[in-house]
Amino acid sequence: MATVDLTSLDNTIEDGKHRAPLVLGGMNYSDVTDAVAGVWEKKQPAIWWPIFGLSVSLTLLFGALIMHLFFKGVGVWGNNNPTYWAFDIVNFVFWVGIGHAGTLISAILFLFRQHWRTSINRAAEAMTIFAVICAATFPGIHIGRIWVFYWLFPVPTEHLAMWPNFRSPLLWDVFAVGTYATTSLLFWYMGMVPDLATFRDRSKSKIGQFVYGLLSLGWTGSARNWHRYEMAYTILAALATPLVLSVHTVVSFDFAVSQLPGWHTTIFPPYFVAGAIFSGFAMVVTLLVPVRKLYGLENLITIRHLENMNKIIMATGLMVGTAYTIELFIAAYSGVASEQFAFYNRAFGNYWWAYFIMFSCNVFIPQLFWIKWCRTTPWFMVIVSIFVNIGMWFERFVIIMALCRDFIPGSWFYYRPTWVDLSMLLGSFGLFFTLFLLFCRYLPVIAMSEVKNVIPHADHGHGEEHAAHSAASH
Amino acid sequence: MAHSSSKQPKPAGPKSKTIGLLAQFDDPESLVAACERARDAGYQKFDAYSPFPVHGIDPAMGISRTRLPFFVLAIGLTGCLVALAMQYYMNAVDWTKIFPGYAFFISGKPLEISPANIPVTFEVIILSSAFATFFGMWLFNRLPQFANPLHRINRFRRATNDRFFLMVETADAKFDANRTRQQFEEWGATAIENVDLDLTDQEIPKFFKMAGIVGMFLLLVPPVMTFRAYGSTNRAPRLHVVPDMDWQDKYKAQQTSPNIGTDKEPVFLYADDRAMRAPVAGTVARGDLQEDDRYFRGYEPGTLPPPVKPVAAESSPANFVSTGGPNAQDPAPAVQDPATAGQYPGEPKWIDTVPAPFTVSEAAIARGKQRFEIYCSVCHGYDGNGNGLVNRRALALAATGQAQWTTAKSIHDPTVKVQPIGRIFDTISNGRNSMGPYRSQIPVEDRWAIALYVKALQETGIQPPAGAAVPPAAPQQ
Amino acid sequence: MHNTRPARITSPLISLSHGYVKLVPLGLLVAAIGIGMAFFFGTAAGGFRRFSFAYLTNFSFLLSISLGCLFFVIIQHLTKAAWGVTVRRIAEIFAMCTLPLALLFLPILVPVILGSSELYPWNAAGWVGEESPLLQVKLGYLQSHWFTLRWIAYFIIWGFFAWNFFGKSLKQDQTGDVKLTLKMQASSTWMMIIFAATLVFASFDLEMSLSPLWFSTMFPVYFFAGGVLGGLAATTLTALLLQRSGRVTDEITVDQYHDLAKLMFGFTFFWGYIAFSQFLLIWYANIPEETFWYRIRFWDPAWAKASWALLIFHLIIPFLGMMARTVRRNKTYLLFATIYLLCIHWYDHFWIVMPHYGYGIEGEAIEGTSGFPFSWMIDFPCAIGMVGLYVALFALIAGDRALVPKQDPRLGESLNHVNP
Repeated sequence: MATVDLTSLDNTIEDGKHRAPLVLGGMNYSDVTDAVAGVWEKKQPAIWWPIFGLSVSLTLLFGALIMHLFFKGVGVWGNNNPTYWAFDIVNFVFWVGIGHAGTLISAILFLFRQHWRTSINRAAEAMTIFAVICAATFPGIHIGRIWVFYWLFPVPTEHLAMWPNFRSPLLWDVFAVGTYATTSLLFWYMGMVPDLATFRDRSKSKIGQFVYGLLSLGWTGSARNWHRYEMAYTILAALATPLVLSVHTVVSFDFAVSQLPGWHTTIFPPYFVAGAIFSGFAMVVTLLVPVRKLYGLENLITIRHLENMNKIIMATGLMVGTAYTIELFIAAYSGVASEQFAFYNRAFGNYWWAYFIMFSCNVFIPQLFWIKWCRTTPWFMVIVSIFVNIGMWFERFVIIMALCRDFIPGSWFYYRPTWVDLSMLLGSFGLFFTLFLLFCRYLPVIAMSEVKNVIPHADHGHGEEHAAHSAASH
Repeated sequence: MAHSSSKQPKPAGPKSKTIGLLAQFDDPESLVAACERARDAGYQKFDAYSPFPVHGIDPAMGISRTRLPFFVLAIGLTGCLVALAMQYYMNAVDWTKIFPGYAFFISGKPLEISPANIPVTFEVIILSSAFATFFGMWLFNRLPQFANPLHRINRFRRATNDRFFLMVETADAKFDANRTRQQFEEWGATAIENVDLDLTDQEIPKFFKMAGIVGMFLLLVPPVMTFRAYGSTNRAPRLHVVPDMDWQDKYKAQQTSPNIGTDKEPVFLYADDRAMRAPVAGTVARGDLQEDDRYFRGYEPGTLPPPVKPVAAESSPANFVSTGGPNAQDPAPAVQDPATAGQYPGEPKWIDTVPAPFTVSEAAIARGKQRFEIYCSVCHGYDGNGNGLVNRRALALAATGQAQWTTAKSIHDPTVKVQPIGRIFDTISNGRNSMGPYRSQIPVEDRWAIALYVKALQETGIQPPAGAAVPPAAPQQ
Repeated sequence: MHNTRPARITSPLISLSHGYVKLVPLGLLVAAIGIGMAFFFGTAAGGFRRFSFAYLTNFSFLLSISLGCLFFVIIQHLTKAAWGVTVRRIAEIFAMCTLPLALLFLPILVPVILGSSELYPWNAAGWVGEESPLLQVKLGYLQSHWFTLRWIAYFIIWGFFAWNFFGKSLKQDQTGDVKLTLKMQASSTWMMIIFAATLVFASFDLEMSLSPLWFSTMFPVYFFAGGVLGGLAATTLTALLLQRSGRVTDEITVDQYHDLAKLMFGFTFFWGYIAFSQFLLIWYANIPEETFWYRIRFWDPAWAKASWALLIFHLIIPFLGMMARTVRRNKTYLLFATIYLLCIHWYDHFWIVMPHYGYGIEGEAIEGTSGFPFSWMIDFPCAIGMVGLYVALFALIAGDRALVPKQDPRLGESLNHVNP
């Protein structure tokens, strides 16, 4: 049994006997530290500044439009009767969905002992936090009377003398997204503490030592601490798994508990979760391909990692496609006139073009990943991932646009987004990228301590037994 | 704070104390082997340090499994109960005086715990468990601990990079400076160092003391400002932070009508200058239609005679004192002809039984009694014989010429006893002769109750007690 | 570092060897008695209809287990998993049982072909009352000839897939060829897609069409969740029993049982999530066209208790009972736990199928059927009999073949697998 060639850069070769190495280039522990800390220690690549500038300006645009919305009211959007929910809810579901990939990578892949997650989980969790922030702004600003936003929470108020309606899915959303944001934040921060300790120990500036020292809580790497830390990590992963299912399930309940045709269908919970993971992984790929290139992390975020992510994109895309098929079949099978019309309208009504984009981007384009070249070529997979995200945005759009043609033909009306709607969507991307770029600048982008655990050790003379032992199923 | 990198290792001086011995290893396997030997050698107070959790080190050191999962489970279950209780308290009942729950039906969902309450309960379980895990772990690990003497050791900085360390505390029973060092060398340590606790680390820096004092003073500012505002007055109008739809473009009831012209040439929308408009002619407020003649007016429907034009000389505003001269009497005939009993010329056909919505019951009579005693007994007396206080006083004044007064009729008077109950009702509602109308003071149902009580009182034939002042007949003047 | 276990089977027996000589006739005898009793007492109580309902409950139970095991096999190849290699052969055998299940489907299929609408009301002409153009697809779909063709297709596909993995794995026992693993890996991708598609429509045909006016897009997922749980429980139980009988010694380690238990825990939760979601959505919207399916399971007082029992015994108790690490690694506990899970999975199918014995297509009570349709003389012997038959089929397929893939390239990893 030949040993694995660790200096090769292609770990996508299928070899039934051996596990592909997850860290290439023969890196050892300090190489890993240098590579990841280097992102923060060295100067940012020149392109960081223009992209950051653009993101910040889009974020400011977003902020200004929010102020505009608060002062003028929801009329600045295109929401009308009967489309009383439009871009606000589409953007919310879009961003929340994207966030789910991070938790899946952190928690679910952890529970399934997929060791390849160690290179990507930190950036993915960060993406989750930022996506949830973007997501939470939309329901926060769309409530109309923004000054009584606190009525959403169970706080006692003299003014209202009433409590939230816990039986409403909109309130379940408040709890679900709030819990999700909090738990993801805790998980992300907890994961970062050992790496922040590394930064603390490498930092040259007083401010850096102070800040990272504070954030790393005095972490020393004590084995006794690691024991409890690992237990907490496992427990949080075990908690985050049902959480990530429940959050997008609750989001799907917003629609599925109603009586609207096209909305009220029982498969929404797992279908939305699969779609969320689908779009989230696409966003992770979109982010990590440039990051690995610009910061020289190709040996840590290898082609195999990207390939595995693309396979998950394909799998979840097929789940979404299966759900489309089941929905269409049951709509025809059920014999419910409004249900059949809803699906007919989606494909041939006013928004047929959105349906076409959705279908082609979600079902057809990811099939390109059957071809090995497509799923192992970084620039190509970025293109496919962007299409997937576009497709998933349009999926939510198509679902919401069922409102345009509801039960009474007399109330049918075409919805048109205003410039505020479109600019806010753009602005939310600005917020997202600003936060992500700041994350790249100041925080550890790869979980160093976790990656060090999966480095193949051919030089210790234990050969493939050791590799087999230290890195189980991946 | 951990100023680890720029300081040189301090020599053990009077302000520091050696608390342990640190050994460095270059790979995880030798660390694990060393830990096993340390455990076997009987050391209890030792710890290993690594940049990542080393596989196999827990059994090598004899670390027992943490109790964190049980803690999390307990908190999670508590969270479940809290969530259920919260939802029940807030949506299903209103038990407390302050901040009571508000039970309201919406979209037909049950008030009490139902499947609709499960999602929030689930999320709260996860949230509480996550908090318990996160904070519990740091608590059990006794972190944050910012001033760890290990951070003062330069080479220890690589503990978070690529080196592995083992430290045995001097406080350990088996610790011996020389023997432990020798053991470390046997076990393959690549470097050995003392760990010194700098006692100045335990002191709070002067900066913090200063900052604390300044901070305390700053914290006093808001309450002082609050009390100052509390004790003073201000003529400026309040800040209206939350508009809350308080200024609306609509017109309110007492405002003047809007100016649709210019300031120089004003044109008011409504000629009468009011923004408020009268309701459309024939508008009847809810509940005011009062179609039922029997119930609201006491006569058979369709029996109202056409209105008689009042003779000019006799028209005069009603006043309490009769204009028909002192002590004028009811123009009705003294004795009713039984054949025409109940019929009064020029008046509708009064009903002689209580009308439909009103039912006769002991409660109704009791109500009538109560209301009679409030409104009617002041003149008519408690027994209806006309010996009320007002009547007696007024007659006394009339006797001395200080007032003009028509005596209150006794309800036991034969002319009253033959009246149908509808006419009694009408008397109470609209007045009769000098008795004013009570329509605006007494609701319809109570008027029927009083009329019923009057009839009951008439049945008793009650006489004033012997010797009580019977209103004297007015002296003829 | 640690003692690495060599990638070799050390058990002396490693196959049923002549055990199947006893198991097969024993299983067939139990089947004959059980199914015979069910048939006799069933037809006495409620005609052939009563028997077919009992039979369908048990058939669905067994099919779901086989399909769950097939899913397990496919996903193990798809994810290149190594931990489960030693238990995979057992799952492969259970997956192969779908082929004889095709024959066992005949007591359901043949009456449908012959026009009986006792089990599936849609087989009667004019069952839907007033026909409208909206019902074209439903009326076209639910016809006995399409039904038959679909089921033939399902069994061919499932049989082909199961044989693909079982056959290649057996060949690998002889040759140790790594390319076979790579081929199985590659085929697992498109096979998973087609498997999903067949599962969707099979669940519609098998159990959802018992109530032809009702529909739920979640139903296939519900069937899937329960099936995987049942398959895992069956695989674990079989592994435990084989170890107890000495056929397999220490190839199947405590760490693998730990992983199987974790998966069972996970799928218990997943089943609960799917079942609850389906219920909540239909309950919340409260549309009578959909709610009657749950109404007959909650308003009838006997079925109401049965439904609460399902929630408590299928979700809450297994969830709490499989949470702790120690119980997941205790073989005695797992023995009882897996038997419990199989019983409760059976009960799930009972709960899905049997209400339609007493209630018609619009939720109206059917005359002549009264009381809670569980009988110790009909359903219980039918279950025992069918399980006996299933065991006989397992033994027949296992034959003399190795119960652990002897030369799987990932065997070493599997044997050395450690659960921290």
